[in-house]
Amino acid sequence: MAAPRLNPSSGTPLYLQLVEHLKHSIATGAIRAGEQLPSVRKMAEDLLINPNTVVRAYRDLESEGIVELRHGSGVFIRESVSARTDLMKKAEPVIRSAVDRLEALDLDEDDIRRLMENELALRRAARPRRKQRA
Amino acid sequence: MRDVVAVTNLSRRFGANAALRDVSLTVSRGCVFGLVGENGAGKSTLIKHLLGLWRAETGAVKVFGLDPVSEPTAVLARIGYLSEQPDLPGWMRVDELLRYMQAFYQRWDTTYAEQLLEQFGLNLGARIKTLSKGQHARLGLIAAEAHRPDLLILDEPSSGLDPIVRRDILEAVIRTITDEGRTVIFSSHLLDEVERVSDHVAMLHKGTLKLCAPLDDIKAKHRRMLLRFERAQAAPPDVPGAIRVDGAGREWTVICDARRMHGAAMARHLGASLVEDCPASLDEIFVAHAMS
Repeated sequence: MAAPRLNPSSGTPLYLQLVEHLKHSIATGAIRAGEQLPSVRKMAEDLLINPNTVVRAYRDLESEGIVELRHGSGVFIRESVSARTDLMKKAEPVIRSAVDRLEALDLDEDDIRRLMENELALRRAARPRRKQRA
Repeated sequence: MRDVVAVTNLSRRFGANAALRDVSLTVSRGCVFGLVGENGAGKSTLIKHLLGLWRAETGAVKVFGLDPVSEPTAVLARIGYLSEQPDLPGWMRVDELLRYMQAFYQRWDTTYAEQLLEQFGLNLGARIKTLSKGQHARLGLIAAEAHRPDLLILDEPSSGLDPIVRRDILEAVIRTITDEGRTVIFSSHLLDEVERVSDHVAMLHKGTLKLCAPLDDIKAKHRRMLLRFERAQAAPPDVPGAIRVDGAGREWTVICDARRMHGAAMARHLGASLVEDCPASLDEIFVAHAMS
């Protein structure tokens, strides 16, 4: 699994960035069902983030049914999770062509990222609130 | 005892200069407590009170429930301290320094020290004055860490150091924290690093505590909004409840409390359009509070 590049000063909280990275790794098959994730300690030390951030990310994934915390052994990807490799394979060219077109308009990486984040934020704001997790 | 550090109404003057003004804060056991502020804000002065180097003029300072001035040995035995310029004797060799430090700390772990020496690539026989700035800092880190202190205090440890040494310092912070019950106070103006590892952040500005809260709360609370007006504004728009309004002409940036302000409504009320509405970075939050 590739180490995520976490940006502490971006708008997204670190734990969410980690959750997204792990979900992406699972979806692309970089981590497989049944595999064990690094311990909280190892993950925190490798990424140089507070262990609580890792705990929060793992808990989020657990409540979404993606991982299970096996007492005494560690954190494992649930067997029931299947790689959404096909879906991700379909999505990649969509993103690639969009970025190609934006680059043709002479926009740089920061512009493109900002546009994407703004667009997603607007959609998020327009969506009805998700029910609160216990 | 849950609070490793308890500072109550601490004030300190140096001549005409008020270095600390009525500062109160607590540091809970097991947390990484980030202390931020510009040069001269009072961070080091606060830390020196924790180390018993300054006696509280007004107010009280307790570390591990003890007064560091009247019980220095009990307090300092459990503290590891690394500052911007670790004052290590240039004439000593690396191994001599570590043997010297060991004498002060009952809990000195030689194996751990050796492990760190190897990891950092420090030569036991090297004279300290021949060490590079980065190696000097790493040695200071070993001296601070090898006795596995209950409280690790890092006062601007990364100043002027290359990214690899800064990594080593952050690793030490994480390592300390994952060890049950140990606490870190990390004072730095490198906000990126503070944001990575801190649970709780306190911000000092000209001796005053401007903010002190869990980092997640601080980030959830502050938003940055970019307003664009049809016509250039001669003066900053009046945005009630904003912490800071900055800009010129047609574009103005507002840093505000997200829970009290609805961006789009505020923009409409001012006759502007809301171009951007996103969480503020720690840097922006810091500047906003410093200037407010």
